[in-house]
Amino acid sequence: MLTPEETQALRLSLEVAARSVLLTLPFAIAVAWLLARRRFHGRFFLDALVHLPLVLPPVVVGYFLLLLLGSRGPIGAWLNDAFGIRLVFTRQGAAIATAVMSFPLVVRAIRLSLENVDRGLEDAARTLGAGAWDRFATITLPLMLPGIIAGAIVAFAASLGEFGAVITFVSNIPGETQTLPLALYTALQTPDGDAAAARLALISVGLGITGLLVAEWLARAVRSRMGN
Amino acid sequence: MFARTPQILTLCAALIAVSGSAPARADQPDAGPQPQTVFAAASLTEVVKELARDYEKRSGRTVRLSFASSSMLARQIENGAAVAVFISADEEWMRYLDDQRRVVRESWVRPIGNRLVLVAPVAATAGGSATTPVQDAGVAPLMAREFDLVAALGTGGRLAVGDPAHVPAGRYARQALEHLGLWQAAAPRLARAENVRAALALVERGEAPLGIVYASDVRAARGVRTIARFAESSHEPIRYSFALIAGKAGTDARALLAHLTNARAMERYRAFGFVTD
Amino acid sequence: MLEIRCSLARGAFALDVDLALPSSGVNTLFGASGAGKSTLIEVLAGLLPAQGRIALDGEVLLDTHGGIDVPAARRAIGYVFQDGRLFPHYDVEGNLRYGERRARGRAARVRFEQVLELLGIGALLQRRPAQLSGGEKQRVALGRALLSQPRLLLLDEPLAALDVARKQELLPYFERLRDEFSIPIVYVSHAFDEVIRIAQHVVLLDRGRVTLAAPLAEACLSPLVHAITGAGVVGAVLEGVVISDAGSEGGSAATLVRCGELRVRMAQTTLAPGAHVRLHLAADDVAVAREPPRAISIRNVIAARIQRLEPGEASVLVHLLAQGERLLARVTHGAARELNLESGGECYALFKAVATHGRRFERAGLRP
Repeated sequence: MLTPEETQALRLSLEVAARSVLLTLPFAIAVAWLLARRRFHGRFFLDALVHLPLVLPPVVVGYFLLLLLGSRGPIGAWLNDAFGIRLVFTRQGAAIATAVMSFPLVVRAIRLSLENVDRGLEDAARTLGAGAWDRFATITLPLMLPGIIAGAIVAFAASLGEFGAVITFVSNIPGETQTLPLALYTALQTPDGDAAAARLALISVGLGITGLLVAEWLARAVRSRMGN
Repeated sequence: MFARTPQILTLCAALIAVSGSAPARADQPDAGPQPQTVFAAASLTEVVKELARDYEKRSGRTVRLSFASSSMLARQIENGAAVAVFISADEEWMRYLDDQRRVVRESWVRPIGNRLVLVAPVAATAGGSATTPVQDAGVAPLMAREFDLVAALGTGGRLAVGDPAHVPAGRYARQALEHLGLWQAAAPRLARAENVRAALALVERGEAPLGIVYASDVRAARGVRTIARFAESSHEPIRYSFALIAGKAGTDARALLAHLTNARAMERYRAFGFVTD
Repeated sequence: MLEIRCSLARGAFALDVDLALPSSGVNTLFGASGAGKSTLIEVLAGLLPAQGRIALDGEVLLDTHGGIDVPAARRAIGYVFQDGRLFPHYDVEGNLRYGERRARGRAARVRFEQVLELLGIGALLQRRPAQLSGGEKQRVALGRALLSQPRLLLLDEPLAALDVARKQELLPYFERLRDEFSIPIVYVSHAFDEVIRIAQHVVLLDRGRVTLAAPLAEACLSPLVHAITGAGVVGAVLEGVVISDAGSEGGSAATLVRCGELRVRMAQTTLAPGAHVRLHLAADDVAVAREPPRAISIRNVIAARIQRLEPGEASVLVHLLAQGERLLARVTHGAARELNLESGGECYALFKAVATHGRRFERAGLRP
């Protein structure tokens, strides 16, 4: 049914999306916490910076990533010299591109659920002897879980579909960075690529629907654990 | 998700078109005949821009330009893009449109060609022994079977080329590598760009230690130097196809095509590094 | 000794308190809504920052001058919130163990089984908070706070959110809590009927300031308290020992309680001799007579001297001293005039045995 290249694109898409989620979540939780709970100078700028990928064209975001993390960029050159890490043309780079693009949405989802956590419960935990990290791990985080799951799903779905930032930053390398959207794009330009394009589109739709079903199931499971 | 793809294409095409025609629009009043559109292969960016500006001054007509890989442009024309003149970097894409009766066959000419070269970034040296830095493509050594491509790329390095699946420059590159028996080694190490200029950019930026582009591209870029050139016998002859697109072939379009293919134009192509008869 | 000297300003409200409370038994914080009661215990718990000095039995929890401010998580102060605040993502056992696990090596004076038995929550262990009734939630919240081995327990109007039936059901648990554990308790309430049953010491707060700090018996007699409480609750509180039960006192079928020098008859028959009881004599149930009545069903006719009169709008509260114990009687202005009641006068206090109710307590009495 699928050619080896198409299967490769599908598996790569899933792998890049999974890496993207793992990359985004810790930072998104930290930033959401900072924005929701702390007052500090420059809070507005952090908020704006976080939302930047949402309002910039993806190609521009990819370009900035190239400037920073490319072989000659300030961070990219350091990564290469110190650790031998290169990001352009690699799936790690693709994951970074999709992670950056989905970051604002994930932060929003997590921040929303954080703001809905009853501070009174955290106070109760304080009186029972729970220090700050303890409270975060045993009270705040579990209660934020629905939001974190929502955020993870958003991150996964957004990264499956990310095109502009990926192709601009890490280029279109089959097996490394050619995710489903990029494979579809290539198919559109190849003579007689229409059939392949249609198959890839169908796979994307299938993934999308599966993702929505999984999201719904997860949300229900979490709600029932909370006893609602 | 996949819905964003046409938007990106449109954005790229729009940006390129805007960059190409902005000066012309500035001194032309809106009232008057419609602007004419030229779709040209990416490698022709600088020279066609110059010729088009010249045409605008002489004729008073506005010309809109769009540069991309011949493959992408052909697909856009196939889907109904309103174009007066199409310049492809190979026969195949012109034939593709001709098969769909979109080409005015008697207008089809092949006046210019190009050569294929192996380039590297100016800043760094590509590892390996067979790399003497040379600027002028004409003096660079010929690519030989003995060239140790893998060593030259180093660990993790990739060879930037236009996508051999559809970009003409990529197709020619594949043919040349196959001819030299280097394709097996090269195939897993490719960085496939969507047009030859994108491949050039990868090398210029240092992301790829080596790339295969046209000789004319080296003149356009300051950050690359020629390592070697490919013998013309190692690949299909590189001939650009110029033609009028059916349905837009008024006298104005013919005048535009003539301007792009007359003797003075040939002189400009030569100056930019293209091969003329 | 629980020393509290603190001040804090929150918008238009300012708390300014200087108190020394006994560090055993139950201290109640009483006052109208908005008086600052919850604010004060939040400061005690370390949930609200304030200026001043707080020390419990010599251990300093807050000292602004000395730069000490022990974080809430390390104060070992248990807190039962008005809304319970059980963790929805833990079951009942998880909630109970939460504090226990964080008791940081303090001596385990309160044991898990003890708490289950005291509060009757053994059957609820696997349930989730969402499946509990209001009363059950409060009991679990109390158990959770107890299991954190606190050295001070704060209860913020724990019965306020419950209906009357639930309240009556839960009050005995708090009485047992007071009697069976030696943890000092600060109990916040705006309902004096709760205070009467549970308190040993009363602190009255009004607009952020302490207007009264006294043992319960004294507080019951204070006009400041009378101004806030409902009329039915105003009355003296006495403590005593049952000296004989119904049936043995010449067939009178009334229990005799000795409160100091005073003997009181109660109609209750469930208490055995030797039991300690706390009696609340509502002023509305006490009448005053100039002469001892004859052939009257009232069993308690006690010679007393009028200490003073506290006139109100519709009635007068008569403060009486009977055998060394103080009583309150409410009479109309007309009656006071007619009987010529005045300070220093002799009279008799009358109250029915059937109207006299006593609650038993084990260890901690009115005078800690």
